[in-house]
Amino acid sequence: MTTTVPSGQAQPRAGGLSVAGPRLAAVLLGAACVAWTATPLLHSGLAKTALVVAIIAVTAGALRLAVADIPQPEDDFMLPGYLRAWLDVLAVLRLLAWEETAVVAILWLEVQHPVRAWHTALLGAGLVAYLIVTHLAESGADPGLVLRRQWKLLTVGACLLAFGAGFALVPATGPGAGAALLRVLAAIAVVAAAVLVLPG
Amino acid sequence: MAVASPPAGEQPTLGASSQVTADEVAVSWRPSRHARRLLTLAAAALLLAVITRNPALAGVAGPPLLLLGIGRARAGKDSAGKDSAGKDSAGKDSAGKPAAGRNQAPAKSSSAPALVGFRIGLTATRMYEGEPAAVDVTVADDTDDVRWSFEPGRGIEAGSATIVNGQAARFTFAVPRWGKRGLGSVTLTLHDRWRLFEGRVQLTLPSVDCYPSPAVQRTEVVLSKLPNRLGEHRARVPGEGTEFMGVREFVPGDRQRAINWPASTRRGRLQVNTFAAERSQDVVLLVDATSDVGEPGASALDLALRGAAGAARAYLTARDRVGVITYQWGGSHWLAPSLGRRQVYRIVDVLLRADSGFAGGSTFSRLPRAALPPGALVVAFSPLLTGRFVEALRDMRERGFSLIVVDVLNTAPPPRRTFADNIARRVWQLEQQAIRFSLRELGVPIVAWDGATPLDLPLGPYTRRPLVVRR
Repeated sequence: MTTTVPSGQAQPRAGGLSVAGPRLAAVLLGAACVAWTATPLLHSGLAKTALVVAIIAVTAGALRLAVADIPQPEDDFMLPGYLRAWLDVLAVLRLLAWEETAVVAILWLEVQHPVRAWHTALLGAGLVAYLIVTHLAESGADPGLVLRRQWKLLTVGACLLAFGAGFALVPATGPGAGAALLRVLAAIAVVAAAVLVLPG
Repeated sequence: MAVASPPAGEQPTLGASSQVTADEVAVSWRPSRHARRLLTLAAAALLLAVITRNPALAGVAGPPLLLLGIGRARAGKDSAGKDSAGKDSAGKDSAGKPAAGRNQAPAKSSSAPALVGFRIGLTATRMYEGEPAAVDVTVADDTDDVRWSFEPGRGIEAGSATIVNGQAARFTFAVPRWGKRGLGSVTLTLHDRWRLFEGRVQLTLPSVDCYPSPAVQRTEVVLSKLPNRLGEHRARVPGEGTEFMGVREFVPGDRQRAINWPASTRRGRLQVNTFAAERSQDVVLLVDATSDVGEPGASALDLALRGAAGAARAYLTARDRVGVITYQWGGSHWLAPSLGRRQVYRIVDVLLRADSGFAGGSTFSRLPRAALPPGALVVAFSPLLTGRFVEALRDMRERGFSLIVVDVLNTAPPPRRTFADNIARRVWQLEQQAIRFSLRELGVPIVAWDGATPLDLPLGPYTRRPLVVRR
């Protein structure tokens, strides 16, 4: 029995720009998120630590994407020392969850600053974009197709970001921590309602 | 290298593939890395929102939670829809037949593996060294995003992109060195439309036979005494061939059309033309697979197999009966001489067994008469490094076989600095010269072949005139 591969379905990943594009975009978005949340620069110990961790994680994530196409040899016992060291570096780059680390570090850096609602909302948008572009870069999926499928959700997500910022801008009804907590709970309730209602 | 291969720079078009495997495989779905990252972002944002009492951070958790929620809900819907269509959780319909082959997506649940149908096809299961081929893979799932990743096996060179997105994919490859080679594996990764769940399956690809590229040989060594069997070689005896041999006087019973009228006019008596008989010969190719020295790809064994394949093709084209014996440690494999194009592939299949190292076949001393018919021309391909093989050649010569040895040794111990090493190297060279001298003294011609030139060049002195059979 002979079969032919359907044309148009078996398109290999195009080289050059289409592979490098999403990777470069992921790096730029990660760097932008770090720069956005680090401004203005704080000099406290925790903020500095968070900034360093975020920079390392974003850089390592970018390196992981850059070396994604380098194959791992089946056995390395005959390789010279410097090649083994390089393979160890590759293994560490591929093993650790750099993007998750970067996200947590960036959020931690953000909370070191005084409350700035719209700044935080834009950071959230940037982080979601960073994660989506990173996934596109590592999976080689068609960005147009993925974004077409998700644009409605992303629009609603942007609205939720705006809601969160809006809740932060609502003046407190009274002094103390209780009023602030109430606003947080209200924002969480809106998010939860959207998550529960929209998929249906 | 003098092998029959397509011209450089010309990429042959690979045709349709033949189905090799078609089956169904269980896919275990689990949350994708993307989903885990979104979950991390949402959890961190919510936690920090509560700790710092910052509602804007709760908003940050909104988009990732929304994506996670809608992905989960849609996956559940898809699963329920398929269940209601008559398919149970094991991926089979009410008739008990697997449903994945009918382009149905499996249920996305981390606990319930589902079946997907796949098909693997090859453009060729047998190929020559360096000849491009392709493997086609297809999955019967048109609802999920599919990604293929090709991991070539040992000795396989990928010729195209090794990562392809799409329901079907074609990976081209080439095998640079002869032998039975496993193609490797293909990893199939399925993503749901929200990219939150992924299923991963590793499919083992079939193995292929890579034949040694036959050396170029257009002329043949022909014995002076040929068996009485119709063929294409000019014999020394008169017969019913087409090649003019001489003129003799007409005797009753001669065919009238054979009368040579000019000669009859000159001599005044009827003269007839005589023609040489055309006979075929038995050729046995003897391949020494006991030692494989030299660089991989151009080693003595590589050259021996390529030379034997080229010789088999040349002699079979000349309608000779060709057989083969591969001589290995522990025994040998053999194939009795026979005719026809199919015999080329039989011979190459026997040659491929030389890859196995220690042979489990018959021993050399117990070869049946069919493997070495009397009066056969024996063409040996050997680096002449194994004493037992050299002794076997001497024995065959003493039994009356007409032998010709193609020396495929194209390497030597490298020169060293120390005196002892150089002395050892010199002794080795003298030993090699002595071996060749002793064989020549027995009447065994030895020609050296480097693998780069056609075999016709070293065999030239023996292909221009018949090889005299001496007993």
